[in-house]
Amino acid sequence: MAAMKFYCDAERCIECNGCVTACKNENEVPWGVNRRRVVTINDGEPGERSLSVACMHCSDAPCAAVCPVDCFYTTDDGIVLHDKDICIGCGYCFYACPFGAPQFPKDGAFASRGKMDKCTFCAGGPLADNSSEEFRKYGSNRFAEGKLPACAEMCATKALIAGDADMVSDIYRKRIVNRAQAALGKAQQLRQRNMGSAGDMKGKVTN
Amino acid sequence: MQITRNLPNRRKSYFQWMLFALMLVLVLPVIPYIYADNSESSPAVISVPNPGSDLWREVRQRDYPISSSTQISGINSNVLIDSEGQKWREYRIEKLIPYGAYILGAMLGVFLVYFLIRGRIPIKGGRSGIQIPRFTQFARWVHWITAISFMILAFTGLVLMYGKYVLIPLLGPEGIHIPANLSKLLHDFSAPVFIVGLVFTIFTFMRESLINFKVDTMWFLRAGGYLGGKHPSAEKVNAGQKLWYWSLVFGGIAIVASGLVMYFPNIIQDRLLILDAHIIHTIASIFLISFMIVHIYLASFGVEGALECMTSGYCDANWAKEHHDLWYEEMQKEGKVGTRFEDQQKSEVFGQSQAADS
Ligand code: SF4
Ligand code: SF4
Repeated sequence: MAAMKFYCDAERCIECNGCVTACKNENEVPWGVNRRRVVTINDGEPGERSLSVACMHCSDAPCAAVCPVDCFYTTDDGIVLHDKDICIGCGYCFYACPFGAPQFPKDGAFASRGKMDKCTFCAGGPLADNSSEEFRKYGSNRFAEGKLPACAEMCATKALIAGDADMVSDIYRKRIVNRAQAALGKAQQLRQRNMGSAGDMKGKVTN
Repeated sequence: MQITRNLPNRRKSYFQWMLFALMLVLVLPVIPYIYADNSESSPAVISVPNPGSDLWREVRQRDYPISSSTQISGINSNVLIDSEGQKWREYRIEKLIPYGAYILGAMLGVFLVYFLIRGRIPIKGGRSGIQIPRFTQFARWVHWITAISFMILAFTGLVLMYGKYVLIPLLGPEGIHIPANLSKLLHDFSAPVFIVGLVFTIFTFMRESLINFKVDTMWFLRAGGYLGGKHPSAEKVNAGQKLWYWSLVFGGIAIVASGLVMYFPNIIQDRLLILDAHIIHTIASIFLISFMIVHIYLASFGVEGALECMTSGYCDANWAKEHHDLWYEEMQKEGKVGTRFEDQQKSEVFGQSQAADS
């Protein structure tokens, strides 16, 4: 059983919001709804980092646990989807979700919510794959065509990667190793410059 | 339905209607436990770790507040990860839902057992045929508008809370949409009615619900005479009814205030506030619904002669003597026993069309 996951590499994300735009365009989501967003920590300060957030397709999804009509289901690929024909727009999933993924069109009476909308991993919904009704309700179903989510494919720096958890983990691990190597190499250079010869710890430290 | 045999037809239909509503409200919460076993035997979720879990753990465990910003507008959209919702979810699923069901189920059980043991409490002296005006038409309208909107709210609220455990096994996963969606709509639309009703209730029934320390303590000490023994003295409304009134005042205000917070999700955007409001709303509702069970039982089929006070506005003199003796004496002193509302001051605005109604 595959488990589709997103991963956003904070070392790479440059807060271009390309993924947000790609998502809006691909799925033609209603006004006011953003299935994906980019959050920047310590904006403009040293150590600034950005992360792109959407539904994480949790293995044991809180939204599904709390939904009073049980309209969530997890596909065989580990994608958490929901049925808009069953959803009543109560908003409980939004309160339970740690990532603020569920979104609501603001079209009900008394400033209430419409039916919940969230990231589908570009895998549509419970309706027939790539039917026009599916597109209208859930957006694009790239997954049925064997494609990955539009946001991840669009990401210019490949910060946002999507796919099977194992493969995503592999990519991520390689990056970590490369980074560690690069950092080590840099340390080596520094040491050589500061201490004279490589591997000789007796050199005089000049700064 | 042997207990209804001696009621006039119209009363009987009221009675059946209330019995039906009560059964629905009462039985529903108990059903989840019949189905509880099925859900527990479902296969455990196979947990695949998220590649980014370390990163997310780090972002979450940073000391608040970290400054974070986003280009995307929305509720808390600049928050990366927020685990408050988890506490709320666990509280709701592990505490509110089961304990709420226990309380409501116990309440139903107690009154079922009580009914089986004691049966209907009759008017001991029989009906005298002499009537005393008890609730004006205005008071009755206020009562029924509040009561009906409250029952709709209670029922639809219970559907939202327990529908998942009751209706899905009954109607299937798709079948729940219609009752649940209807419940949410009805809940939203009866809420304003209830708010108006509650405000009027608070003012209409305030005077007779003021506490008379001596009489009311005595009433409670003797448990209202419901557990046997002599029926304690009571004023126009007894101490139990006063407690119901004050519960309704404070519980109702808590429900309305917390409900209003949840009513405008696009205007009130404080997530913590909404979560707290949800919990207060649920606790206050469970409390009031269980009290409503007591009230409906005792004021309809539990006590002979009680329901007619709120339907016709008149009560039987013997019933008054037995249940509200102090009030009966007062009415006697004022010479109101056997009178009609329209005999009293003609200027009284809300008492005029009494005869036509009854
Ligand atoms: S909506 Fe939130 S809780 Fe549900 S699967 Fe997505 S990230 Fe998890
Ligand atoms: S808004 Fe819809 S999906 Fe979310 S908890 Fe409510 S019914 Fe379920």
